[in-house]
Amino acid sequence: MAEITGKKETKKPVIEIGDGPAIPRKTDVGLFTAWRFSFIGAIAIIAYLAISKPDPYLAILKFVPDGILVTFQVTIEAIILALVIGLFTGLGRISKNRIINGIASIYVEVIRGIPLLVQLFYIYFALGRVINLPAMVSAVIAMAVCYGAYMGEIFRAGIESIDKGQMEAARSLGMTSSQAMMHVILPQAFKTILPPIGNEFVALLKDSSLVSILAVSDLLRRGREFASESFTYFETYTMVALIYLIITLFLSKLVSIMEERISVD
Amino acid sequence: MSTDNKNTMVKLRNVYKYFGQLKALDNVSLDIYDGEKIVIIGPSGSGKSTLLRSINKLETIDAGQIIVDGFDICDQETNINKVREEIGMVFQSFNVFPHKTVLENISLAQTVVRKRSKKEASQISTELLKKVDILEKSNEYPGKLSGGQQQRVAIARALAMKPKLMLFDEPTSALDPEMIGEVLEVMITLAKEGMTMIVVTHEMGFAREVADRIIFMDFGAIVEEGTPEHFFKNPTRERTKIFLNQIL
Ligand SMILES: Nc1ncnc2c1ncn2[C@@H]1O[C@H](COP(=O)(O)OP(=O)(O)OP(=O)(O)O)[C@@H](O)[C@H]1O
Ligand SMILES: [Mg+2]
Repeated sequence: MAEITGKKETKKPVIEIGDGPAIPRKTDVGLFTAWRFSFIGAIAIIAYLAISKPDPYLAILKFVPDGILVTFQVTIEAIILALVIGLFTGLGRISKNRIINGIASIYVEVIRGIPLLVQLFYIYFALGRVINLPAMVSAVIAMAVCYGAYMGEIFRAGIESIDKGQMEAARSLGMTSSQAMMHVILPQAFKTILPPIGNEFVALLKDSSLVSILAVSDLLRRGREFASESFTYFETYTMVALIYLIITLFLSKLVSIMEERISVD
Repeated sequence: MSTDNKNTMVKLRNVYKYFGQLKALDNVSLDIYDGEKIVIIGPSGSGKSTLLRSINKLETIDAGQIIVDGFDICDQETNINKVREEIGMVFQSFNVFPHKTVLENISLAQTVVRKRSKKEASQISTELLKKVDILEKSNEYPGKLSGGQQQRVAIARALAMKPKLMLFDEPTSALDPEMIGEVLEVMITLAKEGMTMIVVTHEMGFAREVADRIIFMDFGAIVEEGTPEHFFKNPTRERTKIFLNQIL
């Protein structure tokens, strides 16, 4: 390996790889066609398999939609809760109050350092000791607690991206800091944080497959139930993978459209 | 405006402010009377903004006392938001709210802080937009406005609170030369109406026309103060002379 010599090194190349599928942009022609290819391809394969070999493919298609609904339910409920947690975490992270700031920062550090699957188990069984919650509720809380930390960072960055003159102008008009946050800062920050929140939604939807371990009948678990009864593991997981792919590709597309709309404004 | 009937609007006593090691305000004492117009001048970094921002507590001072409109703003008991309602501030960088229309910019704090109804706030906003001569832009977003127009919106926004005191921190420094006049005009009108004003500016023409008193600051301290007449004819301190020579 070549040594890095002196300070000639200009900017380090930044490698940006998001968690969700690459978000297609109009300018990015290659990716745009890759998106189309995958999306249309996945639909075509599903259709072909279901028609040409209804047993087991059509049967699988009929069996898993309940799971898709549960996957969406977990994702949507978790993201809403995560947004609330994230807002307060983000506010805590910029708070001048040392205690509040400390709590928020530690929460973020701890959560980011533990694999989601471990957290899920932990919260599920920890909650189970104190109160007996339905699996679904535990799963949503666990996902939200985890994603709340990431949301917190998004909110923090969004709030910090607003020129500090805005806060000063609001405060100098006599607004309290919460009034200024609510009427001046957050509405402006919202624009910057909407696309990353969209990406988190897609990521959360994928990670929600982990809750299948907690006796929640999401898409993946429904697939597993079908497979273990019919012994069609390969066929079932092919379908499950394709359905996840279609959903995430579709949602990523929505996020990118939203991003474009916002940047036009 | 005469300073004979002395009702003090702002009183600073032995004010010190540090940024780390740097002494940004160095034993500043100053009385500003009702209706008085003060112009603060001085080289970059001399503490002009810090002084202004201490008066509405955007900066917290380290020692001394500041009384505004009878309220000791360093006292923990004082509700600073209440005091700020009475102090309008205009910034060099305008700081209008980009996500609100011009009318909403001016109405926002009226409804949120002064608890006026939407209708009443709109009426007052419209009046003020007429006053700063920008009524036709009511429903535009600030992004569509020139710098001079944005600054006039910012002035109207501050005036909407019906303040007793207006602070201006280099309100024309960020403007293209052809827009400076329109903003100064609004400020001159305001001065004529009797508003108490503290203005940091390099516009010496404005200072000569409007100021009751000019204050020259350097290294965080007040070096010299006096009438415009005094400053432009026979400033006494050497540093003042050097500074005035540079900018005039
Ligand atoms: N938030 C801050 N943190 C650290 N130092 C600061 C801060 N604000 C101001 N200073 C320093 O305090 C000193 C006084 O600054 P101030 O902005 O009051 O000067 P000024 O007279 O308004 O200058 P200018 O004409 O450039 O606006 C400067 O040396 C400045 O660098
Ligand atoms: Mg300044």
